[in-house]
Amino acid sequence: MDSLLTEDQLTLTEGVKDYLTGTHGPEVLRRLDEKGNRDPAIWQGLVEMGLTGLMVPEDHGGLGLKLLDAALIAAECGRACLAEPLVDTAFVAAPWLMAKSETADLKAIASGEKIVPLAHKINGWTADGNGDALNSVDPMRNLSTLPADATDDPHLLNLGALMSAAQLIGLADAMLSQAVEYAKTRNQFGQPIGAFQAVKHHLASATVALEFAKPVVWRAAQAMDDNIDSAPIHVSHAKLAAGDAALQMAETAIQVHGAMGYTYEVDLHFWMKRSWALIGAWGSRAFHMKRVDDAVIGGSLDIGPAQTFA
Amino acid sequence: MQLNYTPQQDAFRAEIREWLAANVPDKPLLTLEGEEGFQQHVEWERKLASGNWGMVTWPEQYGGRGLDLIEWLIFEEEYWAAGAPLRVNQNGIFLLGPTVMEYGSDEQKARFLTPMAKGEKIWAQAWSEPGAGSDMAAITTKAVRDGDHYVISGQKTWSSRASFADWGFGLFRTEEGSKRHKGLSFILFDLNSPGITRRPIRQLHGHPGFAELFFDEVRVPAANMLAGEGEGWNVAMATAGFERGLMLRSPGRFQAAARRLVDLYREHEADASPSTREAVSQAWMQTQAYAYNTYAVAAKIMAGGKIVAEASLNKIFWSELDRMMHRTAMQILGAAAELTHFDDGSINQWLDGYIFSLSGPIYAGSNEIQRNITAERFLGLPRQGAG
Repeated sequence: MDSLLTEDQLTLTEGVKDYLTGTHGPEVLRRLDEKGNRDPAIWQGLVEMGLTGLMVPEDHGGLGLKLLDAALIAAECGRACLAEPLVDTAFVAAPWLMAKSETADLKAIASGEKIVPLAHKINGWTADGNGDALNSVDPMRNLSTLPADATDDPHLLNLGALMSAAQLIGLADAMLSQAVEYAKTRNQFGQPIGAFQAVKHHLASATVALEFAKPVVWRAAQAMDDNIDSAPIHVSHAKLAAGDAALQMAETAIQVHGAMGYTYEVDLHFWMKRSWALIGAWGSRAFHMKRVDDAVIGGSLDIGPAQTFA
Repeated sequence: MQLNYTPQQDAFRAEIREWLAANVPDKPLLTLEGEEGFQQHVEWERKLASGNWGMVTWPEQYGGRGLDLIEWLIFEEEYWAAGAPLRVNQNGIFLLGPTVMEYGSDEQKARFLTPMAKGEKIWAQAWSEPGAGSDMAAITTKAVRDGDHYVISGQKTWSSRASFADWGFGLFRTEEGSKRHKGLSFILFDLNSPGITRRPIRQLHGHPGFAELFFDEVRVPAANMLAGEGEGWNVAMATAGFERGLMLRSPGRFQAAARRLVDLYREHEADASPSTREAVSQAWMQTQAYAYNTYAVAAKIMAGGKIVAEASLNKIFWSELDRMMHRTAMQILGAAAELTHFDDGSINQWLDGYIFSLSGPIYAGSNEIQRNITAERFLGLPRQGAG
């Protein structure tokens, strides 16, 4: 029994965080929003970091890492509000294909040559697909209509929900940092607004929700890696906890920014819009709540003090 | 991350489960806030000690088993799963004990820890004063050195367990004229010392769960001071960290409440609203989140790490979770919620639990203070009035 992340995981995560902080700041989001949404140069950078092959087995040219590793990187993608479809292709499609023993595309995924549009009926749209374009509130989303042959595979849904939850953790962390930074520098009544208790308490409450969502997401990833029967319940728990924490954080962050938060000029809206998008994607709040209800109240899951890791 | 128990951990779980099954009282004890119930709970502490279960993480020489924090969590899970009584000596074993372990001399450890683990001495805390509640640095009760004793004069209040306990601990001003956090010392005292008057305070449920303490030139041996004179604030902050952090509220207790809440909901499902159903699921989810986090904190401490401001986040989370769960139960019970005893004569433990849960966001540093600490020390926001 060891709930800590490993040194390797922390080092890898820190490396990706540093890379994205250095190469994928808000100015990049503004450029992409202005034109194109996607940039082959950014994608190539992710390929060279080895991230497209993170989960692909070594004999197919990847690193052969696990869902927990991928979830930690997905959180960093959320923190950077990354627009490229790395999470969808490398952390959702790749493990899905591997689970189905469909290995034909793995090498091309690892090398960055193949992007896999994910068409699942739960969403009603495809991201980075070829259908008729659909407009999202998030300008980076590249959504299109769902093809007729879209799947309803629950394993794909679970992977998509898990990785959405992980991205939401990073998105919320980034929105918290932006709000804290603003609260430290904006002065009113002769002091930084962050010195006022009303502002502090809003941010503290959102922080508590976020910090207690993180271990839920990591546990869900581990449950999927371990392939335990209850893993889908833990994924739903993760999606709910991360989604609720991110929404609370988004609403808190815009409130702390005041009228500035309502402008396009302040960066916050990119992160807020991605959060809105991912909160609804891969199973709504009602969908995941029902799965938890059915297991916990319905009785299919063992609960109680001696069942922490059931 | 590796979320499976070792065979040794499973064996330990089986051992404590078996002992509890044979020894936990069949009927719930009376509330430990009243005199008779207090004595019942003291008897239970001694029963636990007879099985060497008083405080499993302590070294064997002080009445423990020298186990690690994961084993402590397993113990707690089984303890609450078995429906075992509240720990009447929690001020001692969970707060003062770890503090003595960190700051006490060998002599003090031998003198205080073993009787604590064995339930021979029950401890009360004595932090607050009429003028020093959330603002604990405003303490004025003084302890004046006189030879090898200190002479204590002043008043403490909201002193949990002090109506019936044997010993107390708290902060006292040992440097005359000192201000705020400076000049305070951490002193342990016998509640039966001449010059101490206890005035039990009736709490909203009618029982004297805490007391006022009046000190009229009470002589306390200088050997009862923990750490050095004037170092009390830092010692107290360590104690408060234990209180808000890992020890006081183990996840097992909340997981047991969530499980009972699910059972209650199932009985009343036909009359329940969808929002109640969601609250019940949230109770499970949040108790699980608290458990995962606690396991991670335990692993961090075992790896040599420390928890600091995280303790404040913890305290906010568990206290508001506990209130939410009991509020939900009261809503499910509807018209029966107000009954102190149900038709079959059984105690309405949801009502007792709801009343108790209201104290959680207040004691151990109110949640307003915890939110300030979270904002200032975890997020790095400026203190009030900082230009």
